[in-house]
Parts: sequence; structure tokens; C-alpha cells
Amino acid sequence: MVKKLRFVKLISVARKARTVTRKYPFEGPLITEEFRGEVRLDPKKCIGCGACIIICPPNALTLHDEGDVRVIRYFVGRCIFCGMCAEVCPTNAITITKEFELATLATEQLLRDLVHERVKCRICGKPFLPAKLLKAANDDIPGSDNYIDVCPECRAKLGLKGILEHRMG
Amino acid sequence: MSTVNLSSALKALKRSVWVFHLNSGSCNGCDIEVLDALTPYFDVERFGIKLVASPRHADVVLFTGPITRETLPKVIRALRAMPRPRMVLAIGSCAVGGGIWHDSYSVIGGYPKLEEILKKEGVVIDKVVFVPGCPARPEAIIYGVLVLLGVVEPKSKREVYKVE
Repeated sequence: MVKKLRFVKLISVARKARTVTRKYPFEGPLITEEFRGEVRLDPKKCIGCGACIIICPPNALTLHDEGDVRVIRYFVGRCIFCGMCAEVCPTNAITITKEFELATLATEQLLRDLVHERVKCRICGKPFLPAKLLKAANDDIPGSDNYIDVCPECRAKLGLKGILEHRMG
Repeated sequence: MSTVNLSSALKALKRSVWVFHLNSGSCNGCDIEVLDALTPYFDVERFGIKLVASPRHADVVLFTGPITRETLPKVIRALRAMPRPRMVLAIGSCAVGGGIWHDSYSVIGGYPKLEEILKKEGVVIDKVVFVPGCPARPEAIIYGVLVLLGVVEPKSKREVYKVE
């Protein structure tokens, strides 16, 4: 009889241990300080340089140059939350949030787009780079004002012309 | 099964869904998180969610992995064995968008690409929920199940920002 009632001991053990179950939907999630969730692109700070696109291991961040715009597309569904984009961003436009409740019914809902207007070339009129990137480049290398709003192809021609004019007199 | 019956069947699935865990070449990270969600710590059985050993008993498939070529025929067989309404919870970056293997030669590359193959094979999936995360947290999986059952509205929306 005593042997059969041995399990009663468990009640005192269980009372000491208390319930361990997290009541998740009704209480906060168990997120630590170093947890990395969805990354957020700040449209105010982003210059559209594409450093994050080069570093992204699963190509969750992609760059699309379509007509007058440059689109930086972030597909959360492919992101591995490594945080390398935030590390490499020159303007700290990318921040890592703690957001993880990302479940959706369609993959289109997991896309985040950042649309940059592209500057048109002074000579040939072809759109080439975002205005903000050109401004940042000009701040980095002062004295390039003459070439700043010219596309790479026209820039080469312009440079060659300058050299030739200098040589030939 | 007619569509009327199907919608009423989906309504009846508001509670106590039985889940089957289908690994299609995942790295086991998401599988451990699925296991974690089933332990007393997160205890999904308080929602009536129960893990079953056969797709024939299951309402929901917990789908992990980017679907390797080797697993593709087995995945199709397992999904075909399920009774209607079939529901799929694609867990992890690999299952949602192919993850880090999205352009690899040996994988199909995520559930959206599998869906096209399933359509050709004539296997109908009634509802799919995508749960991103690498790996998806147990809480994220629980949230995904709640979205799947229509208890909560999905938070994540498509966003387009314009830079001035």
C-alpha cells in the first residue's frame, strides 16, 4: 500500500518546481537581448549604395534598377537573420529589430521595398544612380562636381576629351 | 468533396489540429524548434495540437527544409496521403523562400516552387501559412498555427517606402 502511494511525493516536488510552461500568446515571448529578428531599412538614412546586397548570404536583399528607380527589395522569407547587412551599412540605415511574428498567408506579404529615384545623366539623359548616393560620393571625394551628374560611359568620354584637349592644346 | 463541405470542414478545424512533421532536407534547426514547441515548456497541447506519426491522421503538415531532389517524390507521396482539407505550415527560411540554398542545383527551392509541381501532380493544398525564421522560434511556430487556424490576423504586410 505504501509502495503504491509513493507517487504522492511527486506533488511536493512539483509544488517546488512550479509550472514551467510559457503562456506565450497571453504573455510576452522569451526574447533575449542578442536575439535578431527582421531587419528594418530606414528610408531617411539609406543612400542606395548596395553594400548590403553584396554581403547578404542568401540574397534576401536584392537590387533592381528599373527605369527611373532603383528598388532595394528585402524578402523576409529568405532572410537568415545574420545581421551582416546592419554591420556593413555605411550610414547605419539598417537596424535589427526583435520582430519574429512574421507568419503570413502569401509570400508577397513578406516583401519590403525601398524605392530610390535615379538621377538622369547630364549628357545622354540615361538614369544611372540614386541622388543620395551621388551626394555621399561627392562629400567623400571633393572636387568631383564636374563629373557628379554624368553617367559612367559619358564620364569616360568626358575624361578622355579633357585629356586630349590638354595634350593637343 | 464539394467546396461547401470543405469550408465547413475548415471551420471545424478551429481547434485540436493534429500535426505531422515533414522534413524535406532541412538542417534540423527548424526540426529542433518544432520539437521545442511540443515540449512542456511551450506545450502546444494546451491548444489541442498533437503530433501524429502518419500523414493519414494529420490535418496540418509542419513542413521544413528546401525540398531536395531526393525528398521530392516522398514529399508528394506524403502530401497526397493526407485527407482533405490539407493544410501546410511552411517553417523556416528554407521552406518559405529556399533560404541560403535558393539557387542551389540540388534543391527545388522552397514551398512556392513545390506548389507549382504539386499543381501538375494534381495534389490540392487548401491553406498554406509561411513562417519565416532561421530557425523559426517556437513562439513563431505557435503564432503561425494561430494564423493558420484564423485565430489571429497576420501582422506582416507588404511595405513600400519612397526615398526623397
